[in-house]
Amino acid sequence: MLSQERVQLMTKMAAYEENEGRKYMSIGNYFRSDYIGLQTIKSIICATIAYAILFAMYICYDFEVFMQDIYKMDLLAFGKNVILYYFIFTLIYAVISYIVHSYRYFMAKKSLKRYYHHLKQLNAMYDLENRK
Amino acid sequence: MSSLLEMRERLRNFYSKYEIYITPLFKFVLALVSLMCINGNIGYMDRLNNIIIVLVIALMCSFLPMNFIVLVSAGFVCAHLYTASLECGVVALAIFLLMFILYFRFSPKDTVVVLLLPLCFIMKIPYVVPIAVGLMGTPASVVSVGCGTVVYYLIQYIKVNASTISALEADDGAVAKFRYVIDGILNNKEMLITIIAFAAVVIAVYLIRRTSVDHAWTIAMAVGAVLGVVVLLIGDLAYDTHISIGLLIVGMVISLLIAKVLQFFCFNVDYSRTEYVQFEDDEYYYYVKAVPKNSVAQAKKKVKKITSVL
Repeated sequence: MLSQERVQLMTKMAAYEENEGRKYMSIGNYFRSDYIGLQTIKSIICATIAYAILFAMYICYDFEVFMQDIYKMDLLAFGKNVILYYFIFTLIYAVISYIVHSYRYFMAKKSLKRYYHHLKQLNAMYDLENRK
Repeated sequence: MSSLLEMRERLRNFYSKYEIYITPLFKFVLALVSLMCINGNIGYMDRLNNIIIVLVIALMCSFLPMNFIVLVSAGFVCAHLYTASLECGVVALAIFLLMFILYFRFSPKDTVVVLLLPLCFIMKIPYVVPIAVGLMGTPASVVSVGCGTVVYYLIQYIKVNASTISALEADDGAVAKFRYVIDGILNNKEMLITIIAFAAVVIAVYLIRRTSVDHAWTIAMAVGAVLGVVVLLIGDLAYDTHISIGLLIVGMVISLLIAKVLQFFCFNVDYSRTEYVQFEDDEYYYYVKAVPKNSVAQAKKKVKKITSVL
């Protein structure tokens, strides 16, 4: 038999599954460490690409000076500096990414908890109807 | 007021009824306006500066996600600037890549600000974007507003200096040209001041509209607008950026009016019926302020049937 309360709950849940639920469910499928780890790795890759772009821009900007000094400069020290800045840049970006994705995982779990609570409510409604 | 509220309800109903058509139409118009503005300002590539191509791409955008419009617009900008000069195209591409790689992967919903802000700059009402972002978004959206401002000033700089950049090629070569473009963008004081002013507006509007004082949204808008004007004027005094004060104030007033319309649709409450409730549970005392939303039931049409038996 149709129950208005049950239909309301199911509509609410369907709307959730269609919108924000879809995003949160994909996050909720992961363990916390797996999700944050994966996102941090992606961030490190992005930071590497961004650093490469910035470095290329820097070289192009100072290309003439760079080419003039290339035989005079200490290439090892220059390389060390480039790598050091790369690590600092990537570390800062990875830390920001870690914080953002930890927060997102927390929010997703909180939201999914509410959704599972609704599922339990729905199950209880069906049980009650079957017993009648 | 009640007729306005009724109109709002009618608009909402109309939108929910025809959402399937209205959303693609809105995307189509947005894409068309963006691409035409890009072509109008920096239309160096003849192949893209063609209304048929613009119409076809805008039509394509209407069925794809909103972020696709931003990607297509970025592609258009890069292609036009590449035609103007290879170095300009490379710099624009690098800036867009950095924006997408570093920031927009965190908040893809914010990308639309990068599109709207340059459009509003062209319409001389850029102040509406930081106010609206402060009202509807989070402080993190400051980055999007900053990116939008950079994009506008990049286009503007290359548009104004296109002939100088072309002349540089013959005399000094590609490196000088590259350096000229980057210097021009990094040393643009007007851009820097605008970014600072917009960031201050976003944060001030966000902080004030989150407070529980009556008319928080209106106060936030007003304070944001005044703060924006003050920061821009201080910047003008400090760096001599030649900001037109009349245009700034007119733009700010129009932006405030648009923000007020936004408020009418998104945060319309009746402070005269505010209720203060106080209760407690095992762990806390609660002091609750409940402000009812303004709403009216839409008048139902009554159809009177008059039948006559002949």
